[in-house]
Amino acid sequence: MTRDHWALLAAALVLSILPFAVSGYVLYVVNLLMVFVVLALGMHVVIGESGQFALAHAAFFGIGIYTAGIINTAWHPPFVLSVLAGGALSAVLGYLIGYLALRMRDIYLALATFAFGEAMQWVFLTWERVTGGSNGMKMDPANLFGYRLTNDLQAYPFVVVLAGLMLWLTVALARSQYGSSLRAVRESDVAAMAMGINVKAMKQSAFAISAAFAGIAGGMYTLFTSFIHPESLGFQTTILVLTMVVVGGMGSVRGAVAGAIAFGLISELLRQLMSVQEIIYGVILMGFMMFMPKGLFADRNRRVARKPAKGVQA
Amino acid sequence: MSFSEIWLFLQQGILSGLVTGSVYALLAIAIVAIFKTTDVPNFAQGEIFMIGGYVALSLLLIAGWSYAVVIPVTVVAVAVGSALFQRVVMERVTHSKGVGPQLVIATLGLAYMLKGLVRQTGLGDTPRSLPPLVSNDPVIIGDAFLTRLDVAIFVASLTAMVLIYLMFNHTRIGKAMRAVGMNPRAAQIVGIRLSRIRMMVWAMAGLLSALAALLITPKILITPDIAHIAILAYAAAIVGGFTSLPGAVLGGLVIGIVENLVGLFISTNAIVVAPFLAILVTLIVRPQGILGGKPQVKKV
Repeated sequence: MTRDHWALLAAALVLSILPFAVSGYVLYVVNLLMVFVVLALGMHVVIGESGQFALAHAAFFGIGIYTAGIINTAWHPPFVLSVLAGGALSAVLGYLIGYLALRMRDIYLALATFAFGEAMQWVFLTWERVTGGSNGMKMDPANLFGYRLTNDLQAYPFVVVLAGLMLWLTVALARSQYGSSLRAVRESDVAAMAMGINVKAMKQSAFAISAAFAGIAGGMYTLFTSFIHPESLGFQTTILVLTMVVVGGMGSVRGAVAGAIAFGLISELLRQLMSVQEIIYGVILMGFMMFMPKGLFADRNRRVARKPAKGVQA
Repeated sequence: MSFSEIWLFLQQGILSGLVTGSVYALLAIAIVAIFKTTDVPNFAQGEIFMIGGYVALSLLLIAGWSYAVVIPVTVVAVAVGSALFQRVVMERVTHSKGVGPQLVIATLGLAYMLKGLVRQTGLGDTPRSLPPLVSNDPVIIGDAFLTRLDVAIFVASLTAMVLIYLMFNHTRIGKAMRAVGMNPRAAQIVGIRLSRIRMMVWAMAGLLSALAALLITPKILITPDIAHIAILAYAAAIVGGFTSLPGAVLGGLVIGIVENLVGLFISTNAIVVAPFLAILVTLIVRPQGILGGKPQVKKV
């Protein structure tokens, strides 16, 4: 067993004991952290694995929430379907945005996706018939074969299992041939092309996968929340997720998870103290970029990357 | 909508657009100058602008100084602060091999910190305006209705732009800034001290942001979240061509005019989304922007 396996085992133990030991609010926070973990994993795929600087995560998160929420409210299907629908719609939109993004690099890509994110927030705010606009939208609780998930405790096992599945999926993705191709594109798209990798298809699919993660995170959010307001789907949220990934360590799955948990906790704990939250946040961001720009888990990750992957000839 | 109405709206939209657009252009120049010389897309531009507004506000209303003192003090204070940030934080990030995402995140850190600091002082709790320096008497140009304040804003920002232009073309420091923007390595070889020039560029950007704040805040309410105005400046920089200073000016005026025309002809609700559409359309049709030159070919 490696250190990662022990960490996973410990996490599984803590997570399974937790619902018997703590109150509703703590469970809510844990649920929220699980959503952040999935969001950060999605950001990790597009920034960490494929090296594309995309800033529209909150928009896809929002699309996932609204899609799942509206479907739950209208048809009360098993929640797995509504969550998947949110993920699928996000993926399709991400794929389309990815098509535009192929023409751009670095800062232009960041700005274009930023513009898309802001435009989506405007859509959430103005398309009142569907989203309720600035009044927010009340959603019916999610369903599983007629069993309604009405509180954090009931949603908890499903949220945790979904997050675990997404984590497993990310690791599987990174270890696959596809993951190696993505990293080849990240290091040098010219070299990747020379090796016969379809660079455009890689970039575009990374966008779609990342968007799907965000959409599924949105669906998970509807499992334990019954109200959604567009205010929380702006650039701030995208930055929060970006921070998790970068401070955790770009290109490292451990980093994304650790960053998501740490920053999710900080933002939740300091929610009441807005100005203090902003100052602490700002100082952490600047400090990390000044003294540890590769994030917390960068070095360990590099050591792992040098070893040839199993089943791949060096 | 009759023809005369359309004509009136056009005149009004274009003239008001030039006024607000000239302020966006000032911020866009700051963004482009920083990006060209330091490779940093400064996401804290709006917050630096916001700080300019609050420094002026606290000096005028709390310290009770007169405008004649407040204007130079504000401009210098923000310029120095901006230069210090470059010196202390950005240089360090670049030295620790920070690239795109790291640089952006460092500026975002500054943005959060500044916003938090303003809220912490309590000044940000109520939206306020600066007292107008020039009266709000109406001025009729053609069929359009402006105020004397509008005219003053336009003239002042135009003057600032001309001065910046002269600086870039006729002073040593301006020429050095251009050289660093074109090719930092070559500039260094001919004896230009990179870090000093980069600091000067950030100082200039701070100066322009403070000026923009002084010009526009008598017209609009200032809050800690006013930084979103910088999104319009970003849109201006992208529309004009992200690495072109004349493009920044052109983009600023275009965004100002588009915003006003959309407000008059479509609806005031649509104003918010206009800049994003402008960004998306520009990036799809002409990714390098109007004056962005040839699309960059990536070197291997």
